[in-house]
Amino acid sequence: MTTMTNPAPDTFTTGSAERRATADRAARRWRHARRALGAVAALAAIALPALTGPYLITLAATAIVLALLAMSTQLLAVAGLPSFGQTTYLGIGAYTAALLAAAGITNGPALLAAAAGTAALAAAVLAPFVLRTRGVTFLMVTVMIQGLAVAVAVHWTSVTGGDEGRHTPAVTLWPGDPLTSTPVIYWYTLTAFAAVGVGTAWLMRSRLVLLLRAHAGHEPRMTALGHRATLELGAGYAAAAAISGAGGALLITINTYVSPADISFGVAAAGFAAAALGTALAGFPTMTGALVAAVAIVVVRDWAGSDGTGPLLLGLLLLTVPYLRPAVLRLRARRVNRPGAAA
Amino acid sequence: MSTLASYAVTALGGLAYGLLLFVLAAGLALIVGVMNVMNLAHGASYLAGTYLAYLLTDGTLASLGIAVLAGITVAGLGGAALSVLMRPLKGHTEQAVVTLGLGFIAAWIFTRVSGGTTLVPPRPAILDGHLSVAGHGYPVYHLSFIAVAAMLAAAMHAILHHSLTGIRLRAAVDDPQMADATGLSAARIRTAALAVGTVLAVTAGVLGAPVLSPGPGVDSTVLTLSLIVLILAGPGVRIRNLLIAAISVGMIQTLGVITFPTLASFSLLLAVIAALIIRGRHGLQAVATA
Repeated sequence: MTTMTNPAPDTFTTGSAERRATADRAARRWRHARRALGAVAALAAIALPALTGPYLITLAATAIVLALLAMSTQLLAVAGLPSFGQTTYLGIGAYTAALLAAAGITNGPALLAAAAGTAALAAAVLAPFVLRTRGVTFLMVTVMIQGLAVAVAVHWTSVTGGDEGRHTPAVTLWPGDPLTSTPVIYWYTLTAFAAVGVGTAWLMRSRLVLLLRAHAGHEPRMTALGHRATLELGAGYAAAAAISGAGGALLITINTYVSPADISFGVAAAGFAAAALGTALAGFPTMTGALVAAVAIVVVRDWAGSDGTGPLLLGLLLLTVPYLRPAVLRLRARRVNRPGAAA
Repeated sequence: MSTLASYAVTALGGLAYGLLLFVLAAGLALIVGVMNVMNLAHGASYLAGTYLAYLLTDGTLASLGIAVLAGITVAGLGGAALSVLMRPLKGHTEQAVVTLGLGFIAAWIFTRVSGGTTLVPPRPAILDGHLSVAGHGYPVYHLSFIAVAAMLAAAMHAILHHSLTGIRLRAAVDDPQMADATGLSAARIRTAALAVGTVLAVTAGVLGAPVLSPGPGVDSTVLTLSLIVLILAGPGVRIRNLLIAAISVGMIQTLGVITFPTLASFSLLLAVIAALIIRGRHGLQAVATA
């Protein structure tokens, strides 16, 4: 390390102070623009029930559940693990919430915590087995787990109600006051989503995510440094499952119903694709990318494709975005390398 | 005695189902092994095959032959095109997403043309009877399918283990860098593997439609079961392992579902977990990093 030659000091100073100031201003402007966009999107999300009817509100709630699924997938993508099976934990969360609600526990936050906890626990049990694989094999195993989760949901009728699914009573915030109006359910879902989002944002800045990134980058070196891959990746796997499980509880809140169709191949594919498209456009796995892509998928598949062309449009979206990556990266690079913007 | 006979007939169904899964899984093993690509459209290839059979067969053996030939042509071209599509992509996730997109479009087309119903192509008249097995009728078509699939397995075994092409293909699966260094064209082998893998899936669809009816959702079932077979069979393209795994899964799916419906889906999960424990990281990794 000591022999590393520093670049000539004047490479940093040749750019005049003025040019560097321009670059700083550009970076700041971009940051401000992003914040402003985020604020507008958040305000629009909050004001949605005042702006549109129940159909779009329900779609937005669907987007929230898909966003949680995508974020869960993205957390594993950060660890270099391409997971297709996060619907398994969405399902575990949803059925846990449904069973608890049927047993009389309908308090929303309690269901959310129980669903997230159960999903994390299930993931912790499965992690040692699933995490014996990496790369394409991990992807294969998770696709398979997704399929088996559907099979279990279909056949384990005494718990899941089979293909018929399970109807649940409405979720409550205070005893005896069930959430029944669409806007109120939506606002509750949005608040819960914001809470999970804050938790995820904290997680993304935590030591755990640093470790996950390190394992993705160079696992043998991490092992050589004494890190235990299964344990640390397992913690990430459980955390991702908790996010998905929370999505399951919100699914119950929105639909008061869960069936194997809620964790089907198509749902898993949408969650996986949302995370992947978010990554393709940002150049690396980001939660914001996953969130934006999840909303885009719901817009394309359910809103634009409401006449039955949804799968076609979604398929076309998935077929085009990965090929746009080089162009997007070039565009970003050009913005960074613009004369004077190199700092 | 009669229950025993009915079990025997079901087991025969399991054998047909298992062999169908074998053909599908062998195709997927080639694609995953050589290309290192998780083809999420593999189930859609099966659906495409069943649809070709539905379009082209009219109840004669000749039309079934034409459907098989058409399937081989279309799938070969499709597989080669897929290998071109995969080339500019980086990483498993992007490749998987593109195959997913293809699968969505294929499933949409299938739903459009079938109206969301199950399209069962007519069976050739010669094979349309039932054979009496201990008082239980068993479709002749299934028996012929068992024979054809068994021959296919034998042929694949012969090609993979005793011909130069097969040896090259296995070399490319087992150690791509070494194969490259010995002068084998990796690009050509990859394209060939994708084409052959797709041909196997489509052929399975053309011939297997009466065994596993094509309908909405069958594509993902087919994909999941092929993956289970692949994981159970372990690394590489080993015909014998694939055959044993496929027939076991076929039996669990037919006999198991009839006798213990809940247990059957769990038992597959447990079998996979057992395979993950036994094979360990290195054994499994060879499936993918090869």
